[in-house]
Amino acid sequence: MALKGLDIFKLSPKKNCKECGSPTCMAFCMKVAQGAISIDKCPYFSDDAKAMLNEQTAPPMKTIAVGSHKLGGETVLYRHEKTLVNKNLYAVAVGTTLSAEEVDAKLADLQKVDYERIGERMYVEFVFVANTQSDPAVYAELVKKAAATGRDLILECWDVECAKAALEVAGKNVILDGATPDNWEAMNDIATAAGVVLGVSATSLSDLYDTVKKLEGKGNKNLVLDVTGKTAKETLANAVLVRRTAIKDGDRSFGYPSIVNVARLAKGDDHLQTAYATLFTEKYGSILVMEHMTYAQALPLYGLRQNIFTDPQKPMKVESKIYPLNGADENSPCALTVDFALTYFLVSGELERSNQPVNLIITDASGMSVLTAWAAGKFSSSTVKKTFETLDIENKIKNRTLIIPGKVAVMKGEIQEKLPGWNGDVGPLEAGRLPKYMNDME
Amino acid sequence: MAFTPKTAPFSGKINAVTLGTGDKAIVIGGQNVMPFYTFDAPIENAPKIGVEISDLAANWDAPALNEFYAGCTTMVDYAKKAETMPGADFLCLHFESADPNGENRSVAECVADAKAVADAVTMPIVIMGCKNIEKDGELFSKIAEALQGKNILVLSARNEDYKTVGASVALAYGQKVGAETADDINLAKQLNIMLKGLSINPENIVMNIGTAAVGYGFEYVASTLDRVRLAALAQSDADLQMPIMSPVSPDAWSVKESTATEEDEPAWGNREERAIDMEVSTAAANLTGGADAVIMRHPAAIATIKKFITELV
Amino acid sequence: MEVKELSFEELLATKVPEIKVVDMGVKYKGHNPESPTFVTIGERIHCIAPSIRKAMDERDPEPILKRAAEQIAAGATYLDVNIGPAEKDGPERMMWAVKLLQENFNNVPLALDTANKKAIEAGIKVYNRTNGKPIVNSADAGSRISYIDLAAANDAICIALCSADGIAKDNEERMKHCHNMLERGMSLGMDATDLWFDPLFLVVKGMQDKQMEVLEAIKLFASEGLKSTGGLSNNSNGAPKTVRPIMDSALVAMAMMQGLTSAIVNPNDLRLMETIKSCDIFKNHVLYSDSYLDL
Repeated sequence: MALKGLDIFKLSPKKNCKECGSPTCMAFCMKVAQGAISIDKCPYFSDDAKAMLNEQTAPPMKTIAVGSHKLGGETVLYRHEKTLVNKNLYAVAVGTTLSAEEVDAKLADLQKVDYERIGERMYVEFVFVANTQSDPAVYAELVKKAAATGRDLILECWDVECAKAALEVAGKNVILDGATPDNWEAMNDIATAAGVVLGVSATSLSDLYDTVKKLEGKGNKNLVLDVTGKTAKETLANAVLVRRTAIKDGDRSFGYPSIVNVARLAKGDDHLQTAYATLFTEKYGSILVMEHMTYAQALPLYGLRQNIFTDPQKPMKVESKIYPLNGADENSPCALTVDFALTYFLVSGELERSNQPVNLIITDASGMSVLTAWAAGKFSSSTVKKTFETLDIENKIKNRTLIIPGKVAVMKGEIQEKLPGWNGDVGPLEAGRLPKYMNDME
Repeated sequence: MAFTPKTAPFSGKINAVTLGTGDKAIVIGGQNVMPFYTFDAPIENAPKIGVEISDLAANWDAPALNEFYAGCTTMVDYAKKAETMPGADFLCLHFESADPNGENRSVAECVADAKAVADAVTMPIVIMGCKNIEKDGELFSKIAEALQGKNILVLSARNEDYKTVGASVALAYGQKVGAETADDINLAKQLNIMLKGLSINPENIVMNIGTAAVGYGFEYVASTLDRVRLAALAQSDADLQMPIMSPVSPDAWSVKESTATEEDEPAWGNREERAIDMEVSTAAANLTGGADAVIMRHPAAIATIKKFITELV
Repeated sequence: MEVKELSFEELLATKVPEIKVVDMGVKYKGHNPESPTFVTIGERIHCIAPSIRKAMDERDPEPILKRAAEQIAAGATYLDVNIGPAEKDGPERMMWAVKLLQENFNNVPLALDTANKKAIEAGIKVYNRTNGKPIVNSADAGSRISYIDLAAANDAICIALCSADGIAKDNEERMKHCHNMLERGMSLGMDATDLWFDPLFLVVKGMQDKQMEVLEAIKLFASEGLKSTGGLSNNSNGAPKTVRPIMDSALVAMAMMQGLTSAIVNPNDLRLMETIKSCDIFKNHVLYSDSYLDL
């Protein structure tokens, strides 16, 4: 439990001089904590102590912006406590060890995954450009190629001259992932001059912490922390301890977004990278670096990300419209359900399994499930009628069969009244029975 | 100013539950930290992987998976082969065909299969039913009776049938019982209380708190796992300290990402690879949330998750 | 009964007679000191009750164990052990009572309640901490402030009554006492959360106009992250027997809303205990299940 007044008391002069008007320092500090009195009333509080107190009222984790992307800014460790704010982003790695052909192939490949899922664009947001040599021209050439994809860049480069050259061609939407306990001062100068986010890494959390403190001392708080360790186990420990220290213990020097290089933890093993990326989606990776991003990997990973970063207060909704399935046309029957994303996925999935052409009509029910929406009056014969009008279903579809969810069989009569000419057909209670139902309908 | 991380185990602890007998017996649970938080305290029992063997496995449509089971016709064949799968810790016999709305195989036939498998294998056995409450009730009771002494786990007792399933499986035949709920933490707790109320020892209870494939409402599973674990560990809630088993494969293999053909979705590439990644990600997500055991299907996915667990514990 | 007075040193060398463990059919289920749930301190082992006074004098376990068993069965977290002023044989009495209760009831945690400081110290020497630190009952900001020193020296929790000589006249005075005691405890190395501040619950019949002020004081403690407790049932003193549980339940719900973390109560008041359990549900301290009242 946060003992705020007591935290202030620990920093207080403990003179009990009464000059502030309070009988004791303890009483004064309690009043400060409640906001009843300004700390400036005490002439003996040191500037350091005041600065520390100011720091403690700042949010526990910074929000770092790279281009249009936002990272970090989290206030809780678990999504049920409130909500997670900024979803993790993905990068695909290229590096100076690859041949020009390999680089070209990878850069082309990473752009292939680009699709929409429940209103969200799913693609690889960053190219991670690793440098392991010392010729600035060679690295700049590679960075230029990566920048040409239009994706934001992470420049992993510990060589100061190479970093300088890279930043000249990299544009603004860049993270310079290059500061270490050895070179932090020079890297800080370059990153600050270029106005880009600086990535910090170290071989231990203690060194990482010290380096962040030094950078903060120079006034740079535009940082991300590369927490990748030698093993997955070490990396998980780093990611969790950094986040927990910031959120739970309120130590803002670890209150920065993280980079986890999954590609390095499971080189050459795409399946294992999928597993690790899953782990770090749930446990505190802000940018996950992959060796590739195939559709096979993207489909589960982006789906999971969309789930985990959904605001628990806001239901996931799909668009109200006609979804023709299995090659349905105007002569195919219609099936009706609500716009709750989970319901949509379940019902559309099962209808697809039936292999029968059907027009799935999604009606606006404020993202509630069938029974909840029905009970709340958001899924009724009137709302269905409105959907039919808005989507102009009368004219778009000739078939007059409408399958109604089994759970709201009671609506059948009313729907037929409101939609003359349509034949209501009561579907099964569970989506899982839809394939059998559709095939029996013939 | 040197940084020293604050690390500590919780005072609450997950029950350690033993499944199976002999050399191949496994223990799930027993830890007092969040999943894979080895920096807080060592994790004694690494999470375990079960191989799903369905009595409808002949319908499985995945070349490498079918290749692995080439030549297998009976459930015993499948089970013996599954035991050789690298990474496998236990077997899960899934009697899908018992469904009265499906093939409606008789209880006697299913029990005969279960018995034959139990006689032929040494790994611990977990039983999954067909989701039909009435049929499962009879099936579970008969299998628990036929496999007495094997220390099997039956998934699952539900709110509707916990009395009959709990009484027969755990009390009459001394097996382990699963308590199944669907993303409802209050009911999960209540069901455990009810099972304990039947005088079932908490060390004989495992939970299945609900499943989903990633992308399909997994946020409910993730938050239920987080909340169950925090209640068990941080609040020492003894009614939620049962280890968790998550059946991953039935969900992971039935979503569109795993079933759509390459003709339907040309951009998506090889279908089996998609199913493997869907299974890997769903299993990893469950383990990250707190599952102490996962049930999976594909050898490549199982090998991956085995590596994942080994690297992290 | 002949009582011999011992020096403290002598007493430590003395062995308390073997405790006979009797099966009362009740097991203390354990307590996690980290738990945020409301802590009830059962008040029924008190020398003001003639049967208990007699039992203490005669070292007769039966009446004490009976009351302990009833309170534990009803869900008490801690048991208060009031041995009276015990000027003569306090240490020996307290050691006997602590061992008697803890050995019979799975190391049930105890609040040691007497004006004899040596007795409290002696009780702590034989106290088992499995289910929580011992509670020193109690210090105040006046003549009993040194009980804080006693608690600090023995790593105990201390109930800190926010009054000095007589009832505090307002919350400014209550908080002044609170801060004085807090400062003293912390300067002696205590955790702030080991001081449980008691606003002093006041009787409605006579001090009805002060009730909201007491509740306000609890909120002030809570806003500073401090723990609190008190003799809650004092509010209904003199009210009809049938009415008291209703008043106590209403007050505990209001006080828990303000942030009260513990109270010294009669755990055999079913209505009160059910109210506390329900409030712990609303405060999200315990995960809801249909059976929550039975747990």
